Amino acid sequence: MDYSRPELADRLAAEYVAGLLRGPARRRLEALLPAHPALRTAVRAWQDRLMPLTAVVEPQMPSPMVWRRIEQRLHGDSASAAPSAASWWRQLAFWRGFSALAGVAALVLAVMLANPGPVQPPIIVVLSAAAPEAGAAPGAIAPASFVASISADGRSMVTKPITNVRLQADRALELWSLPASGAPRSLGLIAADKASVVQRGKVLEGTDAFAVTLEAAGGSPDGKPHGPVLYVGKLTL
Amino acid sequence: MPTPQRDWSERSQELSRLLARAGVGDRAAFATLYENTSAHLLGVVLRIQRDRAQAEDILQEVYVNVWRAAQSFDAAQSQPLTWLTSIARNRAIDGLRRTQTQPQLQTSLPNPDNEDSDVYDTVADDAPGPLDLLSRASDARALATCMESLNAPQRQSVALAFFDGLSHAEVAANMRQPLGTVKSWVRRALMSLKTCLESAVRRDAGTTPG
Repeated sequence: MDYSRPELADRLAAEYVAGLLRGPARRRLEALLPAHPALRTAVRAWQDRLMPLTAVVEPQMPSPMVWRRIEQRLHGDSASAAPSAASWWRQLAFWRGFSALAGVAALVLAVMLANPGPVQPPIIVVLSAAAPEAGAAPGAIAPASFVASISADGRSMVTKPITNVRLQADRALELWSLPASGAPRSLGLIAADKASVVQRGKVLEGTDAFAVTLEAAGGSPDGKPHGPVLYVGKLTL
Repeated sequence: MPTPQRDWSERSQELSRLLARAGVGDRAAFATLYENTSAHLLGVVLRIQRDRAQAEDILQEVYVNVWRAAQSFDAAQSQPLTWLTSIARNRAIDGLRRTQTQPQLQTSLPNPDNEDSDVYDTVADDAPGPLDLLSRASDARALATCMESLNAPQRQSVALAFFDGLSHAEVAANMRQPLGTVKSWVRRALMSLKTCLESAVRRDAGTTPG
């Protein structure tokens, strides 16, 4: 069959998405998808048309076992802690003190509270904007701006901007390790436009979260953060 | 009260962000994504695969796949819930292959003494029948108009196939119609739906059709 014929591609896509293609016919179409853009486009269009119908299907809560098995298969965790809101409140309290200390007027962390995470080993930390964008819906999740990946031994980390960060020439971005209590520890300057490698010995030691502040060029002169907190990312172990 | 469509699009933005973060390895975002979508996907899977243990196995497979494929999700190309629901439906339908020789609704054929009864009144349990679902989905404005434009057998055949994952042959058995007839109902129904939704989109865009 000539799957590039639009009407045929459309008909097959419709039946596929509606669930009517079965057995060998279904497998054949799935095998063809990667090589046939017209077919792929048609399938996507039919998914857009028909999937909203499922909005009326009554939701069914899966048993807690399902999530445990998913975690187990993906990360080999024998047990994963339930998302902990408490640790986030602690962090918020900490940040309030921190912001007073650093003279930062407005720190909006409520947005971070919307996304409590399960306990997990350190691999990747996403640093999101500390304040939501103007016009963002309440409870919206701040767009991620940096991704930090930390080596398994916790000795080095790489930060990489994933959104366009503009920086004045006389300003620099400084990365901080935030302990659960006590003063932030500088991990050095990071680039706004390209990946930076941070090697400060024990990156993870005592670290509860990472933050990026806006500092004068050259970084904070006294090892304490001065500028506003631009991005924060919670480290969950 | 928000329409299902409006609700759908509001959730989309948040889900896109969660998927993007899951794509770079953010397990917390993935956990939130699961919390926000797993009940919906299990509902969809359970319509097709009625055995709860099997449905939960399918759900597990779905999220393992979602985690692995999150990086390839493209918010510019797909709505996140559409993408997730499609993965779940595909898994559920694939799972039916193995049990296809035993159509699940075989026991719910209409009572031959009551030819006038709607065949869907007799569909197994007390869950809403596929046709009930269609009429609820029809709260969404464009879809409503378009569903109304189908004739009753067309609507029924699409509802059985789409919601309950019945094959052409199973739809034919349920509606007690020849296979060829059912195939052409479904085909025409899908094509009228497409034409109708496309003209609804044009109306929304403020342009005249053609």
